[in-house]
Amino acid sequence: MTTLSELEAPQRTPVSDAAPDQVVLAVRGVHIHDHVSDREIVHGISFELTPGKAVGIVGESGSGKTLTCRAALGILPEHFAVSGGSIDIVGHDIAELSPAQWTELRGSTISAVFQDPASYLNPSIRVGAQIAEVIRVKTGATRRQARHRALELLAAVQLRNPALVYAQFTYELSGGMLQRVLIAAAIAADPTVVIADEATTALDVTVQAEILDLLADLQERTGLALLVVSHDLAVVAQLCDEVLVMREGQVVEQGTTAEVLHHPQHEYTRMLIAEHEQYGLERYLHSELSAEVGLNRAG
Amino acid sequence: MVTTAAYAPSFVSSRRAITVIRARRAVGRTLITIARSIAIFVPVFLLATFVTFTLRAVSGLSPARIQLGEEATPAAVHRIESTWGLNRPFLAQYWTWFDNVLHGNLGRSWSSGVPVSQLIGDGLTVSLSVVTLSLVIGVVFGFGFGTLAALRRTTWIDRSITAVLTVFSVMPPFVVGIVLVEVFAVGLRWFPSGGFVPFGAGAAPWLSHLLLPALALSFDTVAIVARQLRAGLIGAYQENYVTGALVRGLGPRRIFFRHVLRNGAGPALTVLGLQFPALIGGSVVTEWIFGLQGFGRFANDAAQAGDVPSVQGVLVVSIVLVVTFNLIVNVVLGKVTPAAQRGV
Repeated sequence: MTTLSELEAPQRTPVSDAAPDQVVLAVRGVHIHDHVSDREIVHGISFELTPGKAVGIVGESGSGKTLTCRAALGILPEHFAVSGGSIDIVGHDIAELSPAQWTELRGSTISAVFQDPASYLNPSIRVGAQIAEVIRVKTGATRRQARHRALELLAAVQLRNPALVYAQFTYELSGGMLQRVLIAAAIAADPTVVIADEATTALDVTVQAEILDLLADLQERTGLALLVVSHDLAVVAQLCDEVLVMREGQVVEQGTTAEVLHHPQHEYTRMLIAEHEQYGLERYLHSELSAEVGLNRAG
Repeated sequence: MVTTAAYAPSFVSSRRAITVIRARRAVGRTLITIARSIAIFVPVFLLATFVTFTLRAVSGLSPARIQLGEEATPAAVHRIESTWGLNRPFLAQYWTWFDNVLHGNLGRSWSSGVPVSQLIGDGLTVSLSVVTLSLVIGVVFGFGFGTLAALRRTTWIDRSITAVLTVFSVMPPFVVGIVLVEVFAVGLRWFPSGGFVPFGAGAAPWLSHLLLPALALSFDTVAIVARQLRAGLIGAYQENYVTGALVRGLGPRRIFFRHVLRNGAGPALTVLGLQFPALIGGSVVTEWIFGLQGFGRFANDAAQAGDVPSVQGVLVVSIVLVVTFNLIVNVVLGKVTPAAQRGV
């Protein structure tokens, strides 16, 4: 299809501006301070993201994981500020970024998806048009090109009828579909880093699994670097190479996923894993199975 | 890179489908808005006209009283009333009148015998010019002040605008009108103090005669629109979709116009719809001060003279004007914030 290759012309090839081993997001000893209560909320967090890598942050609500994400996106709430350490996005220290540079960087280098996807999309504009808007603004594509590319993205996030979804409003779509739309909007300008802040929390389990598969798939195909934040260890374990466990603003454990899951050092991590073993479905299935085996033996 | 080739063929056929779906929905929404307005319009119209008709019958007002005075003989009164058809049964009179209205005929004035539609048409030219200009002033300054206050929230700019608007909103049009005449017409002599010049005589004199009355009438609109817009915009800026747009890398100007203004302007547009009847009502006083022979003045004169056909004509035209304006506002609202219109 000659028309297709023409239409794809304005896109940048993803991650071309970042070599495979280049650090695309570096968080170094970041502290976050709340000026209202005059307390430090995050006490030093460090990690590095390279293309194709996924880092996960686990912790209960209020542990500072969302604030860390917001700091990396430059959207900390009014009275919060980074009070120590530094954050680099593809080599730019964010402390030195002007508002215009932030606008430039967001969407095309770093982007994000959140919990409650419906609220992060404009209720008065058709969802397809919102994706096309990002493409038009960030890549300078024409209306037609942007529209076509938006339809491609909707298909790429596995929405069954892209053309129909394109023309719908947020209140006409389900939570799972909206999260796919939000992901499509987030990757519309081919960013190198995507932050997923509790992106699957509000979804039911089967849809959650589909969204996680989609993120893993995108990461594999496009070399996206992912920062996954969740209160659920299982979500992080499924996607990430490296895990940080946070509690009350402190990183209590950090290491490769296998290391953290199999040899947890901190008490809190052990508790998280134990809870999964205690309340997870596997345990239930496992105990039923062994009971059956026992019965058979007795008989 | 997101692979796309596999999905491509279906788009060519589906693009037309999107257009069809879109068009159908847009037409559907507009039709629903119009149908809803008509459903409100018809009972209001019937009830209001029926009540005025009943009031005439009860009050015993008669063209004979106007034309012949208090000393008329019963025979003369009877003769005149029968020429106006007032000796016929009440419902038959109402039906004839109603049928005529549907054909665009509002009857003749009892006091002058001139067709009511002609009298109202003359007054309406003046009044609609004043009201439209005051709406334009109200929208421009209301949106300007509201936006400025919202964008400079909690600064001295916001506080001064709020203070000025509070003063604006408590000043009745007749006070503003008198002050404007004193200062700009009598004192500075920049504008004429009253009268009306048709647009055909030139835009500049037309505008100079209209500006002061329109300004007097617009203060309230400016205050109401600006306040609603300020609150709407501040509310919209706190919504997650603004964060969403920010994270997708859209610029501040685009975020304001496409995302914030669009969702925040709903309440301001709604009060604008409610403001229109108030402006028509307010024009009675303003027209007195500025010596304009407008619709409001005509309504007042007709009521005082007991000229029932004229009063009924005024009523019909007012209902049509208010309903039409609300319909326009509702259609615009439906386009701007489709979600809000569905009660979502």
